[in-house]
Amino acid sequence: MSLLSIENLSVVIGGRVAALSDVSFTVDAGEVVGLVGESGGGKSMVGRAIVGMLPTGSVATGRVGFDGVDVLTMSAERLAHHRGHGAAMCFQNPRGALSPTRTAGRQLLDRLRTHQGMDGERARESAVELFEAVGIRSARRRLGAYPHELSGGMAQRVMISLATGCAPRLLIADEPTTGLDVTLTAEILRQFRHAADTDGRGVLLVSHDINAIAAVCDRIVVLYAGTVVETGPASRVLTAPAHPYTRALLRSVPDLDGRPVVVTPGAMPLLREAPAVCPFAPRCAHAEDDCRTSRPRLAEQGAQWTAACFHPLHDAVEAGQASDVTVGAPARRAAPAARAEPVLVVDDAHVVYKSRFGRGGHHALRGVSLTVAKGERIGVVGESGCGKSTLARLIVGLAKPTSGSVTAARSSLVFQDPIGSLSPRRTVEDAIGEPLRALGVPAAERAGRAAAVLDRMKLDRSILARRPHELSGGQAQRVGIARALVAEPDLIVFDEPTSALDVTVQAQILAVIDEVAADRSHGSVFISHDLATVRGFADRVVVLYLGRIVEEGPVEEVFARPRHPYTRALLSRGVALVRDLEEADATAGCALAARCPFVTDRCRGEDQQLQQYGESRAACWRVPEIGELV
Amino acid sequence: MSLSRTGRRREKRDGRFGTVLVVTGAGILAVVALAVLLGPLFTAWGPNEIDPSAPTLAEPGGAHLFGTDVNGMDVWSRLLYAGRVDLGIAIAAVAVAVVLGSVLGVVAGYFGGWLDDVLMRLTDIFQAFPTFILALAVAALLGSGPVNLTVAIALVNAPAYARLVRAEVRAIRDLTYVDAARTSGASTIGLLWRHVLPNSLTPVRVIAPLNCGWAMLTLAGLSFLGLGIPVPDAEWGAMISLGTGDVVAGRWWTSVPPGIALLVCVLGFSLLGEGLQERADRVRR
Repeated sequence: MSLLSIENLSVVIGGRVAALSDVSFTVDAGEVVGLVGESGGGKSMVGRAIVGMLPTGSVATGRVGFDGVDVLTMSAERLAHHRGHGAAMCFQNPRGALSPTRTAGRQLLDRLRTHQGMDGERARESAVELFEAVGIRSARRRLGAYPHELSGGMAQRVMISLATGCAPRLLIADEPTTGLDVTLTAEILRQFRHAADTDGRGVLLVSHDINAIAAVCDRIVVLYAGTVVETGPASRVLTAPAHPYTRALLRSVPDLDGRPVVVTPGAMPLLREAPAVCPFAPRCAHAEDDCRTSRPRLAEQGAQWTAACFHPLHDAVEAGQASDVTVGAPARRAAPAARAEPVLVVDDAHVVYKSRFGRGGHHALRGVSLTVAKGERIGVVGESGCGKSTLARLIVGLAKPTSGSVTAARSSLVFQDPIGSLSPRRTVEDAIGEPLRALGVPAAERAGRAAAVLDRMKLDRSILARRPHELSGGQAQRVGIARALVAEPDLIVFDEPTSALDVTVQAQILAVIDEVAADRSHGSVFISHDLATVRGFADRVVVLYLGRIVEEGPVEEVFARPRHPYTRALLSRGVALVRDLEEADATAGCALAARCPFVTDRCRGEDQQLQQYGESRAACWRVPEIGELV
Repeated sequence: MSLSRTGRRREKRDGRFGTVLVVTGAGILAVVALAVLLGPLFTAWGPNEIDPSAPTLAEPGGAHLFGTDVNGMDVWSRLLYAGRVDLGIAIAAVAVAVVLGSVLGVVAGYFGGWLDDVLMRLTDIFQAFPTFILALAVAALLGSGPVNLTVAIALVNAPAYARLVRAEVRAIRDLTYVDAARTSGASTIGLLWRHVLPNSLTPVRVIAPLNCGWAMLTLAGLSFLGLGIPVPDAEWGAMISLGTGDVVAGRWWTSVPPGIALLVCVLGFSLLGEGLQERADRVRR
């Protein structure tokens, strides 16, 4: 018998929203199951149902069998016991889920005492063991740390130790890697794999990003509009998915090898009742009449492999379809005209954010030089805290350089948070017209140009009268891009333009950006934490680390032959950094010295300048030797 | 298959509760406003007119619906005319306070620095006095009369709006959409007027109606103490004050009707404010 066995679970919220319709799947002990889908798919509702925390006003039918007992009919006391010992949840935003006024150790000890009935000294010992088990070094010291003193990755580890501390049979992780850096994601996921392998726990990884969690999952369950569309062994689902939606999820995200992104139009519907037809049919390139008249049930595709599709696909995911609309294919890129006039010159810029009290401050950029020519597409990559957002703000004039200089032509910025970047009480038309208003363009002409640029974004003109809260994320980001474009600037900066969006919507926005940037009348700077996204977009790549450029070069060159150890680590080319970013200090010598596996005394003592290696430049003197060391 | 109902029962106070409050409050105020605006057209007596044929302190009934007061004036007419004064001054005073407070709040919150320090210390001084004592002092200083009373009540209430708006602005000025407007090239004035101010007024919309009720009470209180509308003009607080001695003697009709009118108006404003609060909370959740 499976540890967790969900049978025909349906949840209706407030009689109006069909959050889940007939969901069935199982999780065995010692197994890692990935539950994937975009927002609105119902994945967090499944997580809530398992711990008996459905939102108020919801009605659940079906069965959530845990160890043979139905969670939906458990008494309050039984449920309390189930939540600690049966199924434990790791919440999405770990720093928010930890109580800010109690130390991490205190919160863990409380759990050990109440759920495990341990006494003081034994609880302390196991707390240290639990911390060490999730990879927290100097665990004894960290027990006394308050949540605000923990880095994002560290807080996530504490969260995992809190969940495992009650020795649950099932561990549920809600978006465990969201907000974590590339170099940390793998490490955190390994912790969950470890919990399944060594302790025999069942693990349910809930994520919007199928590619991110793919590596550690045994099985994958894909949700769409509250229904299970595909479930099967990870090896099969990831390589040759049968359902077109699974395929859309996998191909909406660019990968490091430069595979083109395939765009799926439309967005997930919000269902009022259980669907009578295939909910994906309106967006599906393979849909036929039967998809629009009846709903496909889960059908066997292979061993333990089912998909809810009348016309399942059988070829490998890489195989293109005739109907594919792709983005970022290198063939589309023509080199910019040689010696084009520069639209941005950043020269040795430093930015220091002064602390409010006393001296000191945060040195966000430490001597960055960058030139962008008209028509050029630059990609800037780096982890959080590397200064890439500061660079964006510097370019568009929101931040002033503490020293050095910035010479920019007329520039505009596309923000990460699409809805937040629009004034809540202003209409779309007003928002798009804002840059024109600043230029003194009369109202009638503003309206015309706003409508024209909206057409280019492939948005209906009826949207002009709407306000931000009436827009979806994808629509809002198109409006943001329209605003950046409307005054025909010389330079457009995209600051993480897709990272707040759902996966299939990301692909749509990438297509829009690709089209905008292909227009060589302006320069483009594309900033992202994700190398793969940058690869499909840029001509030239700049890698930032702790406020410095550590590598710079033509995109194909950097991806094919990364020079700097940090770039190699980001690309997972045989280099693993030894510590988390937050623990590194960059006061003297090479910025990476504290984390670099090839570090020498010279690295620690000497600042590294960019040097030419082949077609690219890297700030590391050991580049010639590293090739042999890897 | 088992059927189970999970979660607590839905909260009774849903969105409709707020709307009911708003409609009730606004309805009460609309009735009062109509009565005080149109009512005087149908009364037989002017507010300051003395009926030579009726005795002073005549009982309600007959030619005088609510009787006459100690001066022989018609209480019903005076009640209606006084309503214009009370509602008018209260609303005008709050409007002035909102405008003044919002401007100060936006300037202090957005620019910060020494300007913020100076403005906030000024509001500190104003807020250090009990509201009513301050209103009393300002009214005494400026002298009586409707305009001076409006100014006095507005000055007393403005600092609270300044603080409220400043707090909102400090949160808003670092939000993405303000940055977006900056990168779009908006001027500082345009930025404040079109993006910062409209979004910082959300709590003001809730507080202002409640504040109108308090302003009416302040005005009535000042008049009761003789610092309000000069005699013989009608004002509810002054009317209550005039009849206090008679109420003890059982001649209730001079004081009780204006008291009830005041109560109804304040109730209307309170319900309106509470309802708006309720709805704002729903949106925020």
